[in-house]
Amino acid sequence: MRVTDITAVPEATELAGGRGSRRVWWSRLPPAGWTGVLLVAFIAFWQTSAVAGWVPAAIVPRFDEVVLAGIEEIEAGLFVENLASTVIATVAAHLVGSMVGLVVGVLFWRKESLGRMFEPYLVSFYAVPLVVFYPVALVVLGINDWPIIILSTVMAAIPMALNAWNGFAGIPPVYLRLADSLTASSRQTFFQVAIPAAAPLLYTGTMLAAIYALIGVVAMEFMVARNGLGSRIRYLYEAFDNPGMYFYIVSTLAVSILLVGLLNVLFRRAFPRVLAS
Amino acid sequence: MSEAADVHINDVGVTFPDGPDGRPLEAIRKIDEHIEAGSFVSIVGPSGCGKSTLLSLVAGMQMPTRGEIVIGDRRVTAPDRSVGFVFQEESTLPWKTVEENVSFGLRLAGVDRSEQRRIAKEMLQLVGLAGFESAYPSELSGGMRQRVAIARTLALDPTVLLMDEPFGALDQQTRLLIGAEVRRIWRDTNKTVMFVTHDIQEAILLSEEVWVMSFRPAEVVDVIQIDLPPDRDSSVVGTERFNALFGRIWGTVQGEAMHAFHVLEEGAGEGDRHHSRT
Repeated sequence: MRVTDITAVPEATELAGGRGSRRVWWSRLPPAGWTGVLLVAFIAFWQTSAVAGWVPAAIVPRFDEVVLAGIEEIEAGLFVENLASTVIATVAAHLVGSMVGLVVGVLFWRKESLGRMFEPYLVSFYAVPLVVFYPVALVVLGINDWPIIILSTVMAAIPMALNAWNGFAGIPPVYLRLADSLTASSRQTFFQVAIPAAAPLLYTGTMLAAIYALIGVVAMEFMVARNGLGSRIRYLYEAFDNPGMYFYIVSTLAVSILLVGLLNVLFRRAFPRVLAS
Repeated sequence: MSEAADVHINDVGVTFPDGPDGRPLEAIRKIDEHIEAGSFVSIVGPSGCGKSTLLSLVAGMQMPTRGEIVIGDRRVTAPDRSVGFVFQEESTLPWKTVEENVSFGLRLAGVDRSEQRRIAKEMLQLVGLAGFESAYPSELSGGMRQRVAIARTLALDPTVLLMDEPFGALDQQTRLLIGAEVRRIWRDTNKTVMFVTHDIQEAILLSEEVWVMSFRPAEVVDVIQIDLPPDRDSSVVGTERFNALFGRIWGTVQGEAMHAFHVLEEGAGEGDRHHSRT
């Protein structure tokens, strides 16, 4: 009789036992590490393609030139001034827009007829680029931060209102009957049942509100403004300063990523289980 | 633990101003019944006959258009923490742990946090979920989630416990097991229980008394005393007495269900029926 010796197949044993312990380095990289790797790869590709002439310098400057232009802007104090203007306008528009949107969402949820009456207008406004009203706002309010903040606030409020309304309207009725049976006050029902139950769509709403606020602020700064990232991009574009313009484009992208990332962290801290489930 | 309270349903009627056809809809014509403190009463009847409406009235979540409900010496005019409600639908809050769910009512009532934890632990022990304090509802089975809901209701130490088809979404085996648990809890706590169900076998196994409700406009058309042993279990199913009780209840429910079927089928109004009570 032939007896199979399992130790006679060392490759198989090593393979089975070795997979867990000998993982390649990239499989152990956390998501943040991957982001870093991709960023470095992108910068390397950018620099290589610009140096090798794959893309004309008039279209995409070298990455090192962009960095040098950025250092000049920072040293001149222009970057901080323009960044602060954009960030303040965006945060103000986002905060006020989110609050207004939340109130409108609650109102439409509690007063169904009101919701049905205004829904078509709200959805239409969602589809219209509200920056078209900027020239009118400029005539009324003058060239200052207010027209930008007001229109961006409206842009932020609309997605927040629609998502808040859908979130509240989608709360399982039994949660509200439960609160009722436990004699919860209106305030307790709102903060301890309705808000957590609607949190997934409130999260979507506040994210969209932040994105729309930033789009609105930068777009209007680009059209006419005294300062801000958008205004600086336009100025440097008209001055044929490509590296400087790219520095501000990259800065705008960074602001967008940081804003969304910060909101994500805050929301996940406030409602850890809701978003996880 | 608070004393169980008796429930007086005095000449109660409910008419909704807008029915499906736009005309007033008489949901409950007249119910005039009394439940002794510490009794377990099940209510059966055809779908849509107003069983849940009756529980909502007793809970104070809805007001009758005629008559009154008195629990102990309190006339029901609004929800009260002394009346607990267990819903048919999934009502555990998914963002809260089992312990947080059980102590939710206590938290709303402003009970001290350490007292909340103590009561929650005690209630979880009572419903057989000790050790699951930190679990989330999504990590539990349907039967376990319903036990969390029962524990949450009991945590407020109600004098009356209202259960609206609490096992409706569970499978047959789980229903039997959790039904036995509910009867054990009832015997341990001696609460007054009103239990709505579609399942006649479940009603007989759990209750001391079964009410059969007619189709709209609802009335209690039969009240049956369940004279099976107090310490009964599912082994009584199929005995001569069980079958006799089942036959009597089914006989009435079947007639009402057929009537409901014809009314809904023809879209006609209510017909004349003769209700007997034994």
